[in-house]
Amino acid sequence: MRRKRTTEDRVLDSLNYVALALIGLCTFYPFYYILILSFNQGTDTAFGGIYLWPRAFTLDNYTYIFNDGKWSSAFVVTLARTVVGAGLTVLFTCLVAYGLSQKGLLFSRFYFIFFIVAMNFSGGLITYYVLLKGLGLLNTFGVYVIPSMLNLFFLMVAISFFREIPAEIGESARIDGAKELQIFFTIILPVSSPLIATMALFMGAGQWNSWLDSAYFVQNDDLRTMSYRMIQIINQSMIPTDNASGQYAAMRQVTGFSVQVTAMVISVAPIVCVYPFLQKYFVKGIMLGSVKG
Amino acid sequence: MKPEAQPASERPRVSHGSSVWTTFKKQKAFQFFVLAGMLFLLVFSYGPMVGILMAFKDYRIVDGVGGIFTSEWIGMRHFKDFVTDYNFETLVKNTLILSFLKLFFSFPVPILFAIMLNEMRSQVFKRIVQTVSYLPHFISWVVVTGILYAFFSTDVGIINDMLMQLGIIDKPLDLLTDPNYFWGLAVASSIWKEAGWWTIIFLASIAGLDPSLYEAAEIDGATRLQRIRHVTVPGIKGSIIVVLILSLGNILGGGLVGSNFEQSFLLGNPLNSDTSQIVQTYAFNVGLAQGRFAFATAIDFIQSVIALTLILSSNYIAKKVSGSSLF
Repeated sequence: MRRKRTTEDRVLDSLNYVALALIGLCTFYPFYYILILSFNQGTDTAFGGIYLWPRAFTLDNYTYIFNDGKWSSAFVVTLARTVVGAGLTVLFTCLVAYGLSQKGLLFSRFYFIFFIVAMNFSGGLITYYVLLKGLGLLNTFGVYVIPSMLNLFFLMVAISFFREIPAEIGESARIDGAKELQIFFTIILPVSSPLIATMALFMGAGQWNSWLDSAYFVQNDDLRTMSYRMIQIINQSMIPTDNASGQYAAMRQVTGFSVQVTAMVISVAPIVCVYPFLQKYFVKGIMLGSVKG
Repeated sequence: MKPEAQPASERPRVSHGSSVWTTFKKQKAFQFFVLAGMLFLLVFSYGPMVGILMAFKDYRIVDGVGGIFTSEWIGMRHFKDFVTDYNFETLVKNTLILSFLKLFFSFPVPILFAIMLNEMRSQVFKRIVQTVSYLPHFISWVVVTGILYAFFSTDVGIINDMLMQLGIIDKPLDLLTDPNYFWGLAVASSIWKEAGWWTIIFLASIAGLDPSLYEAAEIDGATRLQRIRHVTVPGIKGSIIVVLILSLGNILGGGLVGSNFEQSFLLGNPLNSDTSQIVQTYAFNVGLAQGRFAFATAIDFIQSVIALTLILSSNYIAKKVSGSSLF
């Protein structure tokens, strides 16, 4: 039985409500703001004073982006790297983890040391660039998805996950003469769906948001991602010049800034859409993360 | 003599060498999976480590990968060049200031936020605020930079616009390009992006506390604030210490909220570079933009060594403190 609410309770609760509402608003409003701007005519946005809803509603910004070859190809590349990249990482990382998770695996001590050293020490971005150049990966789609195929953090997570799977599950298939690779695909992966969902989600979000590789490891315009195009347009407008928006002038009421916010909305939209449904996996992800730090 | 004829007790010792081989053959599929992973790391992880050699060499990118081995040894010249670089002091100063400011201001936020959420009576309200608060964790720094531009720029920024309308300022504040504002902008935006995310850990830790502790405190007449001070905070002290130690391990990357590199890179521009340029971005720029690969590798190497030392020692301390392994 709770005792009666005291004055202290009431004051604290009210303060807490107000503070949390403000925090929520500060986090939410920026997303809402770019959304309404993306539906407003760019030339009208330039006058300022739009806070709650579009003043001059238009779909021009979206039409512009999807008709502009650069933006539409950037969208396709981003989508492709997300799907291919996340898929490759999940498959390869799980496969290696499956091997490492076997009880009584020979040389496993050596293997773990080998993986942990790689996890904690890096040669740095510059030597990494030289390596990519040497491998001929620069300026290819592969540079987005191949170097990230093995994720060491999720490797460790997957190993402990696979160790929890009862050995008998694979045993009967083995007796029936199934190959290990076959067992991995038909038995192990299907029972690991929570692990796979979490991994795919984090890897997918990472790929979708990635920007450094597109800016520095690729020069071919057809391989640029949404992130790169956004950086380009933000850099153009960050330091004001006379003709920053000149290239858009011919195009209806679209400005550099309105294209920029629209691209941001397109980039955030998939995350916001899957977010509510997959929250439990996100939360699971950080709890796994907290074990390792 | 055939092995079968030997006494059973001697069999394992005699056939030791071949038993490793038979076990290996039995495991060959698994061994193959692991070897594929190791081969991958050998190339993409150990490869760049070998590349560190060029920090001690007169290497040029036209020499290709082989040049790392064939180019001339020059000892510590690149390291000396960096330490005597006219940018050196500014870079080190900026890196340290940004790192410590972030640690100092961003670390308490998730703890405070978790306590506030925990005290919220309305579960629906709590869920909504919490869900919204960790959404920014999943968007990229590029988009965050775009949002900052939409809010703080001098031409289209809504904040400048509002402050001017209200007559608080006469001319827009150069929040994005004035070096004086960079640290504040970086710290605040990293809190905005990551604090909600780290709250999850502390909320979980609070949820794990024994409810009878609160009941006992209530019976003893403890007020709300006293219960927070004497039950909640001591109860989550363990998580606070472990997370603090781990943030110290990553302090050069930006601590708990991370992203020093991304922020310096994306929010930095030629106008605010006096405060926004840090060691990480400098190495990247001189390396890739100016083509001084060996020199940049030397800077990267110094950083890797410092980062490794910090991470290993913080993991070691955290392990001691929490009594559990962090790997």
